Amino acid sequence: MFDGLAFLGTSLAHFADPITLAYVAAATLLGLLIGALPGLTATMGVALMTTLTLKMQPEIALLVLVCTYVGAIYGGSRSAILLNIPGTPANAAACLDGYQLARQGLAGRAMGISTTGSVLGTLIGIVALALFTPVLGELALKFGAFEFFWLALFGVIISGTLTGDDALKGWLAGFLGLLVACVGQDSIHAYDRFSFGNRDLAGGFQLIPALVGAFGFAEVLSVLSERGARPRIHSFDSYLPRLRDVFQYWRTIIRSGIIGTFIGIVPGVGEDVASWSSYAAAKRASKEADKFGKGSVEGLMAAETGDNACVPGAMIPVLALQVPGSAPAAVLMAAMIIHGVQPGPMIMVNNPQFVYDVVAMMLYATLGILIFGLLLVRPLIKVLQVPREIIMPIVFVLCVIGSFAIAQRLFDVWTMIGFGILGYAMRQYNYPMAPFVLGIVLGDLLDKNLRRGLVLSDGDLTPFVTRPISALLCGICLLAIALNITAFRDGLARGWALLARPSRSK
Amino acid sequence: MSSRPTASADLAWSLIWIVFGAAVFYGAWTMDRLTALNINPYTAPGLVPGALSIGLIVLGIVLLVRSFRPQRYGGATPMQVATPRLLLALALCLAYGVGLVGRGLPFWLTTALFVFASILVFRWPEHRVNGTLVRGAITALLCAVGTAAGVTVVFQEVFLVRLP
Repeated sequence: MFDGLAFLGTSLAHFADPITLAYVAAATLLGLLIGALPGLTATMGVALMTTLTLKMQPEIALLVLVCTYVGAIYGGSRSAILLNIPGTPANAAACLDGYQLARQGLAGRAMGISTTGSVLGTLIGIVALALFTPVLGELALKFGAFEFFWLALFGVIISGTLTGDDALKGWLAGFLGLLVACVGQDSIHAYDRFSFGNRDLAGGFQLIPALVGAFGFAEVLSVLSERGARPRIHSFDSYLPRLRDVFQYWRTIIRSGIIGTFIGIVPGVGEDVASWSSYAAAKRASKEADKFGKGSVEGLMAAETGDNACVPGAMIPVLALQVPGSAPAAVLMAAMIIHGVQPGPMIMVNNPQFVYDVVAMMLYATLGILIFGLLLVRPLIKVLQVPREIIMPIVFVLCVIGSFAIAQRLFDVWTMIGFGILGYAMRQYNYPMAPFVLGIVLGDLLDKNLRRGLVLSDGDLTPFVTRPISALLCGICLLAIALNITAFRDGLARGWALLARPSRSK
Repeated sequence: MSSRPTASADLAWSLIWIVFGAAVFYGAWTMDRLTALNINPYTAPGLVPGALSIGLIVLGIVLLVRSFRPQRYGGATPMQVATPRLLLALALCLAYGVGLVGRGLPFWLTTALFVFASILVFRWPEHRVNGTLVRGAITALLCAVGTAAGVTVVFQEVFLVRLP
């Protein structure tokens, strides 16, 4: 406990010099702009910034990426409130009440609520990040090949189940991601798989160009293929946050913060599910449930607290297990590895200071969104009015040069374009991108640990389902699949009705 | 834009998944098992891709079966994509990313050309309606020059990247 505080103090002091704080300010502002502009998502922003920060010192580069991530998730609420277009998918729930408040001339109040919720949500997530990462890291030290295999599969299955509106398509996307990760040299024997004699393919698909394509180029195509109308912005009142809102809705804030953080910890689920879950829970518990969707302050507070709490939450499995909690966290994890930081179970043994560095980065980013959220309301509105047909070609140039900059080879540019077209096609037909990305990230973990596990058990599959943690993860995976089978769900409902009948008749 | 794909689209996708899965399975099955190196057979390189491809085929078959029962699973509204704009965007991006970058022309020139053409083409309908074509062309030119100069300076001079 006190060791943790000492580490945190050291990290906070380490980043508290003027140049580093200037990076914090610039990155948070950039993140805010990326989030606020519809079509530029947090994942895309973090992926593009990863390519821009390759030559920076690792700690500064990661600071920039964390600030971009936090800023983008917060920034998305601006366009949700003012334009009824979520800046990032995480802010879709904020549209429901934020835009209604704006139509009532209360856009300023809505932005104040969004700032309050985002800051408090991030702080709740940060506390969990500081407290639970060491605990989870210690637990993860007990994981062997069997558990890591299930953890990888668990991430893909759960992400596929929760991130889209069709679990089957989520799993297909996840399995495709796992297969993509198999291209190139295998990690045990260095054998070239599916390279067809091509030297570039033998190296496998690089993660960052693939993600820049799937999230960046796919979005460019998506935005340019639609005819966008010029945004109309309602006039607004004072945007200063009110303490009264915090006191009145403190239960909603804490509940949403806990839900958001927990959903962040679940591999591959991410901010949009956190936001909708917090919103739904707040509606169920609210005395003013009828106001939800018609300009409810509580609804907006819940949505914005939930998605921002998810950001630090998503970093917990990254640091402790090397399994990302969301798509932007997957990019951040890749960036950590590029910069020579090895997240995972050994981090609390080898590099505990880094965990608290991330906590400090998040704290500075939170300070950044608070300051910019209050100071830059009107300039941000001007940015929102820049036509997307001007922004998107520039974004594509950054996708191209960013992909090229990693290894300075054109193959990465073609990878980006290929994954962009694939991502666009999949999204058009309701295949979610988060499980696909998670599959690419976790493919190597699954591949190595399935084969290691089989070697350790000499081909016996029993340890995969009898060791306690393996059995738990396996059970959750099977339950997630079974709950999506209509016959099973109907049977469960009938069984439940039969059980409930005698108790009702009493 | 509608977001619900048709049942026939699901049918087409299911066939793609099944054929792709089968191709991967064939590739995994015929992959060298490295018996000459006397490795443990459970570490054969094709084991995991083979297992995953079976998973993909099974899920593809479920999607195939499901696509025959659209009334139960929904998905009757057809997709509407602004095809000409999509094709135009795709053509411009491919021309730049595959056709021009790294093919001999200076990076700043290809970038300026791409940005200018893209902004001009996609903003053309709005400028034509408003009668501001010249203003639109000047805006596109300024954006093109600014992007080309900015990206070249930042990547080449600040980040020391050898531009394609």
